[in-house]
Amino acid sequence: MNPLSAAEHDLLRALLDRLIPADDFPGAAGTGVENYVTGQLAGALSGRAGMVAEGLRGLEAEAKARHGKGFLELDGQERDLILADVESGRAGGGWPVPPAAFFDLMVNLAAEGYYADPGNGGNRDGASWKMLGYDPRVGPRGGP
Amino acid sequence: MRRYDAIVVGAGAGGGIAAAVLAEAGFRVLLLERGRAPAASEIPRDHLRNHRVSLHGINTGPEPGGHPRVFVDTLGRAGVVYPHEADYHNNAMTLGGGTRIYGMQAWRFDPLDFRMATRYGVPEGSSLADWPIAYGDLAPHYERAEWEIGVTGGCEANPFAGPRARGFPLPPVPAGPESEWLRAGARRLGWETVTPPLLLNSAPRNGRPACTGCSECIGFACHVDAKNGAHNTVIPRALATGLCELETQAQAASIDTDAQGRVTGVTYHSESDGAARLVSAGARIVIVAAGAIETARLLLNSAGPRHRSGIGNHSGQLGRHLQGHFYTGAYGIMPPEVAYTGAGPGVNIATTKFNHGNPGIVGGALLANEFVSTPIGFWRGGLPPGTPRWGAANKRAMRELFRRGVHVQGPVQEIPTPLSRVELDSSVRDKFGIPVARLSGTTHPETLRTAEFVRGMAEEWLRGAGAERIWSWPRPLALSAGQHQAGTCRMGPDPAESVTDPEGRIHGHDNLFVADGSVHVTNGGFNPVLTIMALAFRTSEAAARSLR
Repeated sequence: MNPLSAAEHDLLRALLDRLIPADDFPGAAGTGVENYVTGQLAGALSGRAGMVAEGLRGLEAEAKARHGKGFLELDGQERDLILADVESGRAGGGWPVPPAAFFDLMVNLAAEGYYADPGNGGNRDGASWKMLGYDPRVGPRGGP
Repeated sequence: MRRYDAIVVGAGAGGGIAAAVLAEAGFRVLLLERGRAPAASEIPRDHLRNHRVSLHGINTGPEPGGHPRVFVDTLGRAGVVYPHEADYHNNAMTLGGGTRIYGMQAWRFDPLDFRMATRYGVPEGSSLADWPIAYGDLAPHYERAEWEIGVTGGCEANPFAGPRARGFPLPPVPAGPESEWLRAGARRLGWETVTPPLLLNSAPRNGRPACTGCSECIGFACHVDAKNGAHNTVIPRALATGLCELETQAQAASIDTDAQGRVTGVTYHSESDGAARLVSAGARIVIVAAGAIETARLLLNSAGPRHRSGIGNHSGQLGRHLQGHFYTGAYGIMPPEVAYTGAGPGVNIATTKFNHGNPGIVGGALLANEFVSTPIGFWRGGLPPGTPRWGAANKRAMRELFRRGVHVQGPVQEIPTPLSRVELDSSVRDKFGIPVARLSGTTHPETLRTAEFVRGMAEEWLRGAGAERIWSWPRPLALSAGQHQAGTCRMGPDPAESVTDPEGRIHGHDNLFVADGSVHVTNGGFNPVLTIMALAFRTSEAAARSLR
């Protein structure tokens, strides 16, 4: 089902958690956003699974080239500096996929998983909706 | 072969009314619908697959596979498109059609909307024209739609509105803090505002409950069945007569004709028993109400010896003048003291001041506040420009602004062009082997000038209200058929310049009618559904007379 290897899955989870980090409210990793993403890559977005796997490899290579260690071993600030360069396409050469396109896909998938309904696999317990004060079913003129 | 008095193709806003009018007049009706008849609980409340945010699918038909279209972009590049993609220009294909999941705005067109060419002249290259009927011809049918389907609204003065003989059957939905804030802004600017009419049970009516004001409204089926549509009003009425047979999962393939070219019935692919089979049914009259794209496609796919390029295409007009609404508006951030309620539907205030009478501008649009937004909808479209797209700053912006975002927008009346059109694709077919719709062209460039004017007024409103930040952007020239699709079988007195006569009957085929937005000559600066319904009542009454 999961089109990513265990190592790729860990990397994906860490990446998503920088795109939507925990603060006073849970972040992507705390709400299962990676499950939404892998579900999409195994389903509707199966055509993009290869790109995501290669992008994650590119991210790991970028971390090693800059710091001599893997992405998962970096602190949050180091991770964010790399991601800002990936977003703007300033990441170093040798990326297997266009870094900005990979990043754009990941930003969108992170938000979809985090802010869409829990039925999509992320937003566990409606955590993001509680943060925003959004309660879809109970209206001011009565509930269902 | 089964025989009926009438076959109606399409069980949406227009077709449902046609079925009810004919069955209640005592005629035997077959109502064909290509979609299914799901219960509300079977229409997913999926925030990524609905008719507002359809990133990875939709919550009603058509199914993702087997129903492609072809879209030709402004550079002339043709590509296959799928139902959830914007370029497909989908409307919900399910029992009730778009009325199942719509935003329910129930505007009457203004009298001037039927006289656009006379009022403004015809911009070069456009097919702007007057309707062959006037507001007064439709007024009693508008009233019928308001009372028989069920409309809530206010009764404030609308500067360009035609006279109405009767008020609305349902009281207005209570205004919320956002609309009070916008109302104060309009007052400061000296603008009149109105309460948008909605096809919604604001109070219990017809055995169904009132709207609860929930925050999953537009794009979703109503969880308490308070949205008034074809599926819960006119279609049950038609079925209650015992004279109307409803067949879902029935895809029309062609309108059948005899050697003289007279319409004899419909051939369709029936999947209601599981396996697909081709069925022909006979009828004295046929009413097509499949939406402006699929109606044109069906008629184009119904060529015969007497009408080799499609039935109703005698003058090459069939499929042309495809239009929708060229939406534009402005976004802003409300001051923190304006309380968020999340109350749906959310559209509570509008101004119709800019529908006409704008100096140097052809037509205009209503401006209204936006439907209640889902969080992912807001993340995609509601954050101010310059907001970081990720990280702690993006999350903070969502937290601070989701409850304060405001969007004022309006359906700009399009200036039609014959180059915006539906044709048949020469190679792509659907799962039944029927050639699919090929969409091409854009609205007329003059529409952009109107849109820019309207965008400026939207910003003005937000400034007048005291928004903290205001932003908007111009839209490029594009095709805008979508859920408001119209125009492909325009009505007119002259067969050389139109597809149907002023009653909606196809020129040269006195037993074939069109009862959807296809017949609109122009599409008003308003959501078109009440006009589709009013015309469907009018055309169906003419069809019933023809059967007597």
